[in-house]
Amino acid sequence: MNERHDGSSIDLEKQLVRYMIQRRLTRRDMLELIGKVGAAAALAPVIAACTSAAGSAAPTNAPTAGQTAGQSPAAAASASASAAASGAPAATPGPQPESELRIYNWTEYLSEDAIPSFKEMINATYGVDINVKTDYFGNLDEAYAKIGNDGGGFDVTFPTGVDVPALLAKGAIVELNKSLIPNIGNLGAEWSDPGYDPGNAHSVPYMWWTTGIAYDRDRIDENLTSSTSLWDPRFAKHIGMLDDWQEVFGMTLIQLGINANTTDTAEIDQAYNRLAEQRPLVRVWDTNTRRMMTSGDVWIGQIWGADLYRIQKRVKKARYYIPEEGGVKGSDTMVVLSGSEHPVAANLFINHMLDAHVAAENTNYIYYMGPNAAAKEFILPEILEDPTLNPDQELVARLQELLDLGPAVRDEYLKRWHQLGR
Amino acid sequence: MTVRPTQPPSIVRRTLSGIALLPGIVWLAMFFIVPLAMMFVVSLGSRGPADSLILDRPSLDNYARALDPVFLPTFWNSIRYSVATTLLCLVIGYPIAYWISRHGGRNKTLLLIIVMLPFWTSYLIRTYAWMTILSDYGVVNSILEALGLTSEPIILLNTDFSVILGMTYGFLPFAILPLYVSIDRLDPALVPAARDLYASGRAAFLHVTLPLTMPGIIAASILTFIPALGDFVTPDLLGGPESTTIAKIIQELFLQGRDWPYGAALGFLVMLVTLGGTLLALGPLRREVAGT
Repeated sequence: MNERHDGSSIDLEKQLVRYMIQRRLTRRDMLELIGKVGAAAALAPVIAACTSAAGSAAPTNAPTAGQTAGQSPAAAASASASAAASGAPAATPGPQPESELRIYNWTEYLSEDAIPSFKEMINATYGVDINVKTDYFGNLDEAYAKIGNDGGGFDVTFPTGVDVPALLAKGAIVELNKSLIPNIGNLGAEWSDPGYDPGNAHSVPYMWWTTGIAYDRDRIDENLTSSTSLWDPRFAKHIGMLDDWQEVFGMTLIQLGINANTTDTAEIDQAYNRLAEQRPLVRVWDTNTRRMMTSGDVWIGQIWGADLYRIQKRVKKARYYIPEEGGVKGSDTMVVLSGSEHPVAANLFINHMLDAHVAAENTNYIYYMGPNAAAKEFILPEILEDPTLNPDQELVARLQELLDLGPAVRDEYLKRWHQLGR
Repeated sequence: MTVRPTQPPSIVRRTLSGIALLPGIVWLAMFFIVPLAMMFVVSLGSRGPADSLILDRPSLDNYARALDPVFLPTFWNSIRYSVATTLLCLVIGYPIAYWISRHGGRNKTLLLIIVMLPFWTSYLIRTYAWMTILSDYGVVNSILEALGLTSEPIILLNTDFSVILGMTYGFLPFAILPLYVSIDRLDPALVPAARDLYASGRAAFLHVTLPLTMPGIIAASILTFIPALGDFVTPDLLGGPESTTIAKIIQELFLQGRDWPYGAALGFLVMLVTLGGTLLALGPLRREVAGT
């Protein structure tokens, strides 16, 4: 490239500068030019790859180079994940990911391979040796307190879907950069435009789950179907409930035939009275369901569905069911925080999690069902066929989601919750 | 013999000692006074929409709310756990401290190290150990069943018993050390002197040893009672639904209620009560120290 066709060498840099001066191009114009050319060159194989893979049209919208003036050239990025799926060569890398990524997540919520495969991908595609740091939280309230209004120093976190509007109102999360998330096309249709986040503008669902009841078949040799079993005096002092006021009140309200998100204090009082009846029978309130169910002290407890797998490792005959009165469902999402100093890496990470193989790997490891339609072909059949982990859609549609009820209503619930803990 | 009044320390000495105090004062200021002041400011604030903090309209409303009688049962829980723990620590710790002091001989330091050794393990891990020991199918119940003394597990965990047991175990070294210091300072000739004056062993203990070690007893009580009042980990892990303490409520107000001003006000109220109790207890201690 540094040689003329007659063999004499040229100084490429000098030529380039002379070209710019002659055309009165500023450095900014030059970058835009490179960007436009690069975008055109990169988009072609990516679009080809995405449209040929899985038959789903990838909603890639490469921003025009003008939007990113002053930054490195913009082009469709992270084509490696989708490109790998279809065998097309990696397209020209887009904006360089930063050298660090800080994740704030539940414990044990990613497969062991998730972050290593992400680091490999970044290295292979961008030549960046990214440093991924993860901090963990045990419950959402602790997490939201730490995130505050700007993310608390993190880039990506995993809030519950229904909390996304509140986080947005606080200014804690920012819009996703869809150009960096072509894998969003892998989402199943029922998750692609949730009510709490139209168009998935700010969040992408990660996993979904149900809340129900687990019991040890060895100690309770019956076929239980109702949540009233948690009030059964035969199991006195061997009943466990989640240490989460919304889940506990939710299950009680549903049992009483009331909407789990009621704001009516008379109805909340009804639930409180029902829970006061239960209190002498309850052994412990704990969100660590594995600890609660495996010590042998608790025979029947309220748990989140996907925890059953871990409980069954110790309690072989543990069984899980969603109460016939109705139950609770929810989803965890991935968001980029407003104070993030590594937005490119954050968006690339989210895209990586949406890759069919990575998503399937996550599901196979943590035994939660994901919203990723493309991943289904790689998920272990025992998960797909398990009605606990993957209940049929008709049942799922009947389940209720617990919503953020606002400070005033929350105070009403909490007042009664504290009275229960006498 | 004339008694020359002691000279006040020279300027140089006073400056040097002032400088020596500086790191400690800075540390206390930065990590104790400043956070406390911040919390006080927060307690005067209010919670805005989207759980934001509003600090520009200070008021004492939160304190009025915090005096809500709904908290009395949980506050009572905290107090009775702390009092029980303190009493048990004194009753168990005093003989241990006495024995080490009087009969430890050359091994006194070693014995004290053995007392402190559990501190080298995380407090949380030791509490988890208690869960394993007291569970329905844990160590105690397994032994009882193996010995044929019981046919069904006794419910030991998630009760008041397990909470007080866990807290006493955790705070015992805090009690033993000040007791040991106080007992060790006792003139060993005093008890034989009392016996010479026809006092029985029990009388010698009650009228000589106990009053003279009272400063140590009070110090041990304070060192046990105050942390026990704020302990929410042990009742949370080892207790049942009826073991909720005021510390847990404050934590819930901050996290689940997302009402920082309210939680801060309640926290300050608990602190005031504790401070009042401590000053009450320190009264006799100050008199004792002034008297000796």
